[in-house]
Amino acid sequence: MELKVSKKATMATTKKKNSKKEKPENTKEIPKNTEEKKNTKKEGKDNKNLQKNKKEKKIRSSLQKIKLRDVEEEEKAPKNSKEYTEGGDSEHTSGDEVHVNAGGVSSNGTIVARAGSDANTSANDDEDNSYHSAEESDSSEDEVAPRNTVGEVPLEFYRDEEHIGYDVTGKKIKKKERKDQLERFLSSVDDKKSWRRFVDEYNDEEVELTKDEIKMIRRIMKGKTPHAEADPYAPYVDWFDWEGKGHPLSNAPEPKRRFIPSKSEAKKISKYVRAIREGRITFDKPKEKPRFYLLWGDDSSSSEKTRGLSYIPPPKAKLPGHEEAYNPSLEFIPTQEEINSYQLMYEEDRPKFIPTRYTSLRSVPAYDNFLRERFARCLDLYLCPRVRKKRLNIDPESLKTKLPEPKDLKPYPTTCYIEYKGHTDAVVTISTESSGQWIASGSTDGTVRVWEVATGRCVRVWEVGSDIRHVAWNPLPHQPILAVSVDQDVLILDTGLGSEEQQGKIRDLLRMEKPTAESGEAAIVSWLPDDKLGGLRLKHFKSVTSIEWHRRGDYLSAVIPAGESRAIMIHQLSKKGSQRIPFKLHGLPVSTAFHPSRSIFFISTKKNVRVYDLLKEKLIKRLDTNLREVSCIAVHPGGDNMIVGTREGKLCWFDMDLSSTPYKVLKAHSKDITNVAFHRSYPLFASCSEDGKAYVFHGMVYSDLNKNPLIVPLRILQEQKGKGVLDCKFHPRQPWLFTAGSDSVIKLYCH
Amino acid sequence: MDMETDESVKRVQVRFVTQLDQKFKVPPSTIALPSDLTRLGLSSVVNNLLKAVVSDWEPEPFDFLIDGELVRMSLEEFLVAKGISAEKVLEIEYIKAIVPRQHEDPFLHDDWVSAIDGSNPGFVFTGCYDGVGRIWKGAETCTHMLQGHSDALTSLCIINGKGSEDGNNISVATASKDRTLRLWQFDAEGAMKHPATVTASKVLRGHSAAVECVSSQKSGNMVCSGSWDSTINLWKASLSEADGDLASIKKRKTSGAVNESQSEGEAVSTLVGHTNCVSSVIWPLDETIYSASWDHSIRIWDAETGSATWTMFCGKVLNCIDVGGESSALVSAGGSDGTLRIWDPRRPGTLAPVYQFSSHTNWISACKWHKKSWFHLVSSSYDGKVMLWDLRTAWPLSVIDSHSDKVLCVDWWKGDSVVSGGADSKMCIASGISVK
Repeated sequence: MELKVSKKATMATTKKKNSKKEKPENTKEIPKNTEEKKNTKKEGKDNKNLQKNKKEKKIRSSLQKIKLRDVEEEEKAPKNSKEYTEGGDSEHTSGDEVHVNAGGVSSNGTIVARAGSDANTSANDDEDNSYHSAEESDSSEDEVAPRNTVGEVPLEFYRDEEHIGYDVTGKKIKKKERKDQLERFLSSVDDKKSWRRFVDEYNDEEVELTKDEIKMIRRIMKGKTPHAEADPYAPYVDWFDWEGKGHPLSNAPEPKRRFIPSKSEAKKISKYVRAIREGRITFDKPKEKPRFYLLWGDDSSSSEKTRGLSYIPPPKAKLPGHEEAYNPSLEFIPTQEEINSYQLMYEEDRPKFIPTRYTSLRSVPAYDNFLRERFARCLDLYLCPRVRKKRLNIDPESLKTKLPEPKDLKPYPTTCYIEYKGHTDAVVTISTESSGQWIASGSTDGTVRVWEVATGRCVRVWEVGSDIRHVAWNPLPHQPILAVSVDQDVLILDTGLGSEEQQGKIRDLLRMEKPTAESGEAAIVSWLPDDKLGGLRLKHFKSVTSIEWHRRGDYLSAVIPAGESRAIMIHQLSKKGSQRIPFKLHGLPVSTAFHPSRSIFFISTKKNVRVYDLLKEKLIKRLDTNLREVSCIAVHPGGDNMIVGTREGKLCWFDMDLSSTPYKVLKAHSKDITNVAFHRSYPLFASCSEDGKAYVFHGMVYSDLNKNPLIVPLRILQEQKGKGVLDCKFHPRQPWLFTAGSDSVIKLYCH
Repeated sequence: MDMETDESVKRVQVRFVTQLDQKFKVPPSTIALPSDLTRLGLSSVVNNLLKAVVSDWEPEPFDFLIDGELVRMSLEEFLVAKGISAEKVLEIEYIKAIVPRQHEDPFLHDDWVSAIDGSNPGFVFTGCYDGVGRIWKGAETCTHMLQGHSDALTSLCIINGKGSEDGNNISVATASKDRTLRLWQFDAEGAMKHPATVTASKVLRGHSAAVECVSSQKSGNMVCSGSWDSTINLWKASLSEADGDLASIKKRKTSGAVNESQSEGEAVSTLVGHTNCVSSVIWPLDETIYSASWDHSIRIWDAETGSATWTMFCGKVLNCIDVGGESSALVSAGGSDGTLRIWDPRRPGTLAPVYQFSSHTNWISACKWHKKSWFHLVSSSYDGKVMLWDLRTAWPLSVIDSHSDKVLCVDWWKGDSVVSGGADSKMCIASGISVK
């Protein structure tokens, strides 16, 4: 029974949602031995309380008594259920008394206490009912069964029903009859305890809170511990025994992970190894430290300084030299005369420092220019440019045009092998015979000579008088005759180098019975036989500077620069006649040329070159050099290209199909170009100048019209210094060049 | 001999051998020589060794061969250059060094000496720019003057015929710039009053330009000539009156109003193929003609068919050609640069020269193989030098510097002398060239 009562009490407390602390306390009370212990403890506490109460004043004493009695009741309750219920009643009274106390009644304390003590006998009807029902339910089921029979079903479902939930057998549990509002009010008016009652709808019962439950609620509402005896500030009892304990906090053995290799680390390492192998991770090579510090090195060249702001090195101060030593060698010491001469110099030319000798370093005085020099240095630093110069880093080689190597363009004349010596004065002009066996030359010593090319032997000499301007071999191989322009005459000379029948023909050709004196041109040209030299003499009215054979060897053009409208004459050998060219001349003619294969005639004046068609007698083209003065022209054997040498040392290559302006202008010589020449069969051309040099070029003309001519300078043939080269001619069959110089020697350059 | 060489100089174990006469033989023992010895040092060593055997030994210069190559530097350099081990005993063969002895007085001509022939040991035959051929008997006096050409002689040859063998009748051929060749016949011994004037027995006309070269067939029946008209003409060399009578004309000589009758000959055949002046022809075998030309080519012609069997372009103008050397098959030619080149036409597929000798500094005007030796040849150049060459070394064996101007022609004479003529109008003889 005791147990049951206690359980009932606990049930009630839980339903009132009190703190759970009470529950374990109650359950602990069940085993007997613990119960005894607790009792003794509580008694101790009670004693304390009692002692406290004694000290309190009279007003408070009643309250204390109530409390004291409450505790006592609690202690008694588990022992006797009847007492408990009685106590419950008494509580009501005491509760009232409390209220009364609030109203200021203190004398009732004793009554309450008495009522409490008499609670055993007194009984109430209401209480009995509840008591019985509880008892029944308890008897029917031994163990704790939920009183709630509806579970979590909302109570509204049962609002209009007669019953609430079902019991084990499935019978409806009937709702208790409720008092209506009026009855309730009336009963509450009668009953003082009614304020402590409320309806537990789930369990369908009226619950009346006990006094100490109310107290507990009140304490909770005040924020105190629900049980008054619980001391939140109990002194700390250190249960741990500190001495004599040798063990660490954790005595666990060393974990396995501490001594086996880590798998995650192994994974990471293998990942790095793979990355290194695949080259995703590269290691910087350790920087090589320069072995020596470049004391005088240029600061700007160091690569480390390029990072960040660019470092502009300060201008270097002049390094001290030997003369600035305190005891320099004697050769540094200026003599007194030199020192005196310094005084005559301008301030800025004067040496800044005059070396002097001292016997020891000790005797060197303070440097008197120190401040001035320091100031100048500061000025230097201050005024030095703070802008870095941007230098274009272009390889100069890459700017050059790609030209084939000269050694790939062999053969071309390179070395002088044979010298033709015999003239006593400057050789003005040379001409090669078409077979290449002979060469003719004219010199200012008044002779015309014919040389054997292979041996350098002079074969024939003619004394023709001074001022030989031009010699020209007849281009026909079977007509070895030579045209020489001497002052105002043109001589046609028989060289006698042909075979007998050729000589016979030549003699016939050059035979003239009587001098021609045609009416119109009589004043200009007259043909005379020259018995002394064995040829013809064509007298002109002015001096002839240049002659040129037509390719068929019959016509001969002569340039008479002072001749104005009759400045260019064309002579015909077979008819012994002369005629003017049917074109109007513009400017002073310099040189003429026949086209190598067509009837086209080139006349160069000082400014430009005009190309005429001889058959149609009209101007075809005008080539402008845009240079100062043309001195010589040469026509490529193909006939479409032409080189023009000028008096300012420039060489113009004209591609006549391309344009009337030069295709290329070569600045080769430093002085006047005296002559230019094309080779007849090899892709070579040459120029010679008064600066004593002859240039050999590779001049390839392609038959493909889309391809421009290729011009490559090959070789500079250096003559003696100060001696101009007055003429150059190519050997007609070999890649050899003849040059005639003012040193009276003709030279042959062979490949 | 200085044997006190310090220890730092490397020494080479050497044994001297020779193929010379017994009196030149040294004891065949091995001696250690310092490796910086040159030809001169080796020569003095050998002379000292010989002196040890024969007390009154006259020192003589020697030349030394190692593995068939003449030593032209110090032994050490030679061994390094040839990759010969200095550990083994080196076998050095010695031969007599060639020291040409130059005759003091040159033989003066009236003009440039342009052609020379020394194939007859009795006399030297020179051609001159004055158009006269001269016979220098025994290299002493001019015995005959071959007058008739109106222009400079360019080339000449002694025709090896029956006449020259059996007696004193010697026939020669000359080529001239007057576009003719002439055949001459004279008695070399006969004329005692000197110089005897000889007139041409036959005039060969047919070239349209200057004839540059002439060469006779080995048997002496035919003569070939090359000319500036770029042809090679073959002529009959016989002087029989049978064909000479046909074209007997009266010829007016420029030198004087001498009327003389001359037989004229015409070319048997013409070899056409060269495109420029044929500067040199050689007819060493009866059926093969070698020619060099200014068109940079060397051609070998079959004389029977008249066709070129071998053509080789060398890129330079060629002035001279000769055939000789090993089994008379090597072709040497020189031209418009100072390099004497030697080809082997038997070598298939390649046209590169076998040997190149480039000590001359100017055009090479003539080159001649020694008639007996396979190794020796002589060349003359416009730089005024005559050089003796041995195929076994790239340096000239000897340089004969007796001319003061261009040397235009050179030939061997009597097997141990070199005769040369030049633009200084001199004919020089250098003798004492012992070629074995």
